[in-house]
Amino acid sequence: MLAHFYQGQQALLLKTGCSNPTSNELLFFFFGSVEDLLIHDLYVLVALAEQQSNSERLKQGITQVLSIIDGQHQPWLNGMDLLEDAQQNKHLLSTGCERIDFLLQGGLREGHLTELVGPSSSGKTQVCLQVASNVAKEYSGSVVFFDTGNSFSPKRIEQILGQLSDHSDIESNKILEQVMSNIVCHPVFDIFTLLDVLHQLESKLRSQVYGGSKVRLLIVDSISSLITPILGGSSAQGHALMIAAGFLLKELAHRHNLSAVVTNHMVGGEGGTLKPALGESWRSMPHVRLHLFRDSKSSICNMSILRHPYIVSAFAHMIL
Amino acid sequence: MTVLDTPLKPNINCQNSFHVGAQTAWEMLREEDMLTRITTSCADLDNILGGGISCKEVTEIGGVPGIGKTQLGYVFAILGFCINLELLLLLRGNKNYRIQLAVNVQIPAHYGGLGGKAIYIDTEGSFMVERAMQIAEACVKDMLEYDGLLRKDSQARQLKMQPKELLGNIFYFRICSYTEQIAMINFLEKFVSEHKDVKVVIIDSITLHFRQDFDDMALRTRVLSGMALKLMKLAKTFSLAVVLLNQVTTKYSEGSFHLSLALGDSWSHACTNRVILYWNGNERCAYIDKSPSLPSASAPYSVTAKGIRSLASNSKRLKMMQALD
Repeated sequence: MLAHFYQGQQALLLKTGCSNPTSNELLFFFFGSVEDLLIHDLYVLVALAEQQSNSERLKQGITQVLSIIDGQHQPWLNGMDLLEDAQQNKHLLSTGCERIDFLLQGGLREGHLTELVGPSSSGKTQVCLQVASNVAKEYSGSVVFFDTGNSFSPKRIEQILGQLSDHSDIESNKILEQVMSNIVCHPVFDIFTLLDVLHQLESKLRSQVYGGSKVRLLIVDSISSLITPILGGSSAQGHALMIAAGFLLKELAHRHNLSAVVTNHMVGGEGGTLKPALGESWRSMPHVRLHLFRDSKSSICNMSILRHPYIVSAFAHMIL
Repeated sequence: MTVLDTPLKPNINCQNSFHVGAQTAWEMLREEDMLTRITTSCADLDNILGGGISCKEVTEIGGVPGIGKTQLGYVFAILGFCINLELLLLLRGNKNYRIQLAVNVQIPAHYGGLGGKAIYIDTEGSFMVERAMQIAEACVKDMLEYDGLLRKDSQARQLKMQPKELLGNIFYFRICSYTEQIAMINFLEKFVSEHKDVKVVIIDSITLHFRQDFDDMALRTRVLSGMALKLMKLAKTFSLAVVLLNQVTTKYSEGSFHLSLALGDSWSHACTNRVILYWNGNERCAYIDKSPSLPSASAPYSVTAKGIRSLASNSKRLKMMQALD
């Protein structure tokens, strides 16, 4: 945003005719960065400007810069606007598994960041593949799958789609191709690539260049394997990147009406019990947290809600 | 086999590929048919693995000492150059039975075929060249036999492969500390890009140097997960199979002790597939613990002088001969 703003600032200065070196230098002398400008008391600024020779131009410059800054933030919304947005734009996406839909009272909600947390081989990737297949099929929506562990299995998707459909053989191959072409898998192996691709996706969605069907679902499997190598240690950069990724996913979900799903693993906590990885700051990041666990070596998976905006904790059992 | 030669070609067909390497599920499905799998030379094991260890994935194999992890390592190193074959067509009747053998009898000029090489990273010092030689010799003998069976109509082609050549296809690295291990894995990418014919990387064992002398557990977690990501990237970028052999440790939970793989919960998500080897009475068995596309199953196997074989050791040969009749 800083670079974007600087461009705007330059253009602004040229437009108001403040192109003579003196006032440029002065403006840049006063505020080396946008933050400085914003932090300064407005009256002090104006008083400083009064003292300069071309005070009128400087004051004009300041007002125009401030109006550009005002244009950057989101418009104010009241409760009715939010409710309308939620009812019209934020639909529920069925996961394809009745029990999970029942547990979540309909399915995954667009605009929410859902986290699947569970020990190894508890079914997290399977749920992700199931939801991806169902959304691509039922809603003809595009699914973006970020795969960090090479566990995206097209064969499994084919199996799942085969179970869901009852068409004849000839049609089903064409439909299969159509549905599977809507699921895009991106292999990512570090957090910077993930952030980069998410930013690109955001700019594509914003400028509506994204061809094909509407993106409805975004899956990151698993985000914890991207963050664990950088979290902790002497610098706080890993922590900042984790929070940045979380916010970016939530913003994408809200602004472009898609549902974001991430998976997380578990680590040992006190007394030998398992707790979700990524620590306390991540705990409040997802809107919905679902805990999966499997009874040892059986095929029954259990899912429980750890956190949800409006559903009280509940359980579900299913076979994956 | 251009799919394997060009790693991560930019996808011009896909509208949404603003990221190099992005592919739709449909394209990946088409490609998967062409991907090769590395056989374990034991039919039952291959069955539960869906044909063998798949390239582009990281497979972790863990078990108690003496169960045959290193033997599997030898087998993968020597059979690292398997290809899909005519045998698939021969065994057309039986869809469940997909053997892929290292029978490399295409054209004498392309002797060595895909020329898949192997990288063997040894942290324990348990690689014995004599044993590898034994397995290589048995492998060559088997190939000659199957070669004879396949080509019994046309003139028998002489398979001029020597066990020494098979051993010559293995790059061996010995690691003595965890810093060397980290350095090695960082170096692997450069090494594999120079030797494009490497098809399998075996690390035996991945956990040894991280189990002791590590004071800072948080550092260990960071280093291990970084290592896991690098191996995943290597497997995906160069389409090779990465096999990690792991040790076991005892875990106390729910009032009892049981065995689980070393390095804790944070390492458990570092592999795509996990196979656990265990004793079932007097038999050795393998169990698929984690896989995105394979159902949980277990199969017995045995360790013989020739390497790893099915329990009923003549079953593979019998089925081959039945199919040819």
